[in-house]
Amino acid sequence: MIKVRYIFLAVAACAIVSLSSCNAGTPTAENTGTPVANSPQASEAVSNNSHSGHGSKNQININTAILSELDKFEAKLAIPALSNKIQANRPYASPEELVSKKVITQEQFNQIKDMVTVQEVALTGEAKDVDYMSKLGLMKGHLIVAKELLDQNQPKQAEPHIGHPVEEIYVDVEDQLNERKVKEFKTTLVTLQDLVKSNPKAAKLKTDFASSMQAVDGAIAALPEAQRSKTGFVLQVINELLDSANSEYGAAIANGKISAAIEYQDSRGFVTYANQLYKGISSQMAKDFPEAHKSIETSMAELVKTWPTAIPPAAPVKTPNDVTKLIKTIEQNSQTVIDKSSTQAQR
Amino acid sequence: MPNNFALGQENLWSRRQLLKLGLAGAGVTGATALLHMLNAQSKSIVKIPPMEAIAPTNAPKNAANPMQVLRNFDYGTVKKENGRTIREFRLTAGTSIIQLNSAVSYNIWDLNGRIPGPTLRAKQGDRVRVLFYNQAGHSHSLHFHGVHPAEMDGVRPVSNGSAAIYEFDAEPYGVHLYHCHIEPVTRHIAKGLYGMFIIDPPKPRPPADEIALIMAGYDINDDNRNEFYAFNGQPHYYMDNPIRIYQNQLIRLYVLNIIEFDPAVTFHLHANFFNVYPTGMTLTPTHKADVITMGVAERHILEFSFRYPGKYMFHPHQDAIAENGCMGQFEVVADSKNAISTPKNSLQ
Repeated sequence: MIKVRYIFLAVAACAIVSLSSCNAGTPTAENTGTPVANSPQASEAVSNNSHSGHGSKNQININTAILSELDKFEAKLAIPALSNKIQANRPYASPEELVSKKVITQEQFNQIKDMVTVQEVALTGEAKDVDYMSKLGLMKGHLIVAKELLDQNQPKQAEPHIGHPVEEIYVDVEDQLNERKVKEFKTTLVTLQDLVKSNPKAAKLKTDFASSMQAVDGAIAALPEAQRSKTGFVLQVINELLDSANSEYGAAIANGKISAAIEYQDSRGFVTYANQLYKGISSQMAKDFPEAHKSIETSMAELVKTWPTAIPPAAPVKTPNDVTKLIKTIEQNSQTVIDKSSTQAQR
Repeated sequence: MPNNFALGQENLWSRRQLLKLGLAGAGVTGATALLHMLNAQSKSIVKIPPMEAIAPTNAPKNAANPMQVLRNFDYGTVKKENGRTIREFRLTAGTSIIQLNSAVSYNIWDLNGRIPGPTLRAKQGDRVRVLFYNQAGHSHSLHFHGVHPAEMDGVRPVSNGSAAIYEFDAEPYGVHLYHCHIEPVTRHIAKGLYGMFIIDPPKPRPPADEIALIMAGYDINDDNRNEFYAFNGQPHYYMDNPIRIYQNQLIRLYVLNIIEFDPAVTFHLHANFFNVYPTGMTLTPTHKADVITMGVAERHILEFSFRYPGKYMFHPHQDAIAENGCMGQFEVVADSKNAISTPKNSLQ
């Protein structure tokens, strides 16, 4: 008798379970596809595709877009420094938050709403190239400072700067490397990191390091030479690098002392590479934009002084505030150049 | 296979358990659990002694403020979308400095200007939307414990200056956590990118004085060993500023161990025993103890009340870890007219 009751209970229990899971909309093991399809990210991705199918404007993700991409809104609405304002009010849960956070008015929003999204969008055109080059530039910055530390026989300090390109950046450019037909170099970077960790005295370290640096350079060279020498383009990359350097430098200093060597070194590497990039376009800048050039050159020379050596000095040369100011000056001056070159490109 | 995380499942479980209990004759644990539940439910108010939040040091800005972490739950901004409750949370990673003691300051990564990050709280079945903005230099991410699709797993780097939106359903109920998942994860967690994530069961737990305690370590010289430890961010803080609780008041501790580099620590409470709800994923305690072992990222709900007034320590029983900062005490206050009665902790 009891057995029968148990069976009845079990059947009822199963029924309740299946009912309750239906009500809750909770996915069961059989239809695991549901949550993905339900997520707005996924559905938005689909509609994005259909948008591009219509050949409509490319959407811009206001949460992740780089400044020069946001400039498209600035240009369209003619609001000075709008790009910075959009960036400062991140994150946005929805495009409408541009209005509720009082970044722009409803009327202004109506003019750009088709171009705005908070969902992941595939970057296209110049923005995509800037993003690609900036990420490789960060890798390059890490490796530059790693090399300095290796040369000074400081493998322990060099190790994180060899690790960071893989840990923080590589996965973000992986798809692009495939698209641009760049041979994978994660293995190269990981091999180098293994070696620095376990046998920093090995003679092979030098050659391994050289091949890592070459791999990053090779990935950068996947961009057309014409692109890489365009002032407006290079300045965008420089700004991205300096923005990261700024945050890293702030993270390095506590109570007026450099207490986090890794972050100090990160920022040194990014600024070193940004400076190298600027040297490459400086004669062009002097010719086309003498005023902006003068200001950027002076600020850059001043900025570089912040990092006298790869091993941090006892006292910081500049406060994080001073560094921020110099970087803002460079950014503002380059913005005028970037705006001009991007409007030229659009027309 | 029935879905263990389906809503309403819990009712079924307790009914089944009641049936089982009825058939087997109420066991000792069952009976105490029942009594405990009845007791707790009859108390509709929770008494919390008044407490001043004392800044840990005289430093002008300190990201660690343990008194703020203690009973401060972030329920997010509640929205209704397509008939569902959406809880929207905003977390910004930044950089700041904490004063570990009078002589040592240390650079950390903070979330919303604090360490640990806000204790996020949702109810099972809510849609959770987390807007994460990274302003902390390196690439970072937020990885939530719980059940969600792969795209929402938060292992993808979010580069400096950009934001990501994580969206998933809050399930299963329990006490969980979130943290940055960029390598070296040890460093990204130990420098501050972590917080507690509580998912409440569909039927709320009985009213209690609810307290969040997060154990963490600080490796201040990057040697992959911790030099300092703390509850809720600040070494030794609760030793100097005991957590005041009322005598006989049910206390519900949400305890998380996020100490990197040390494989496991215990949590030990003096002069008492607590009921253990492993990972907060049951509504009935599994056992009683005065010490519980927790591996990295392990967390539990512990419930108890103190019979006698006075000061009682709590700490990992790895005493070296306790002595280096992971130590605190409860100050049990005799029930009096000064008690502030607050409505039970519940989701709005």
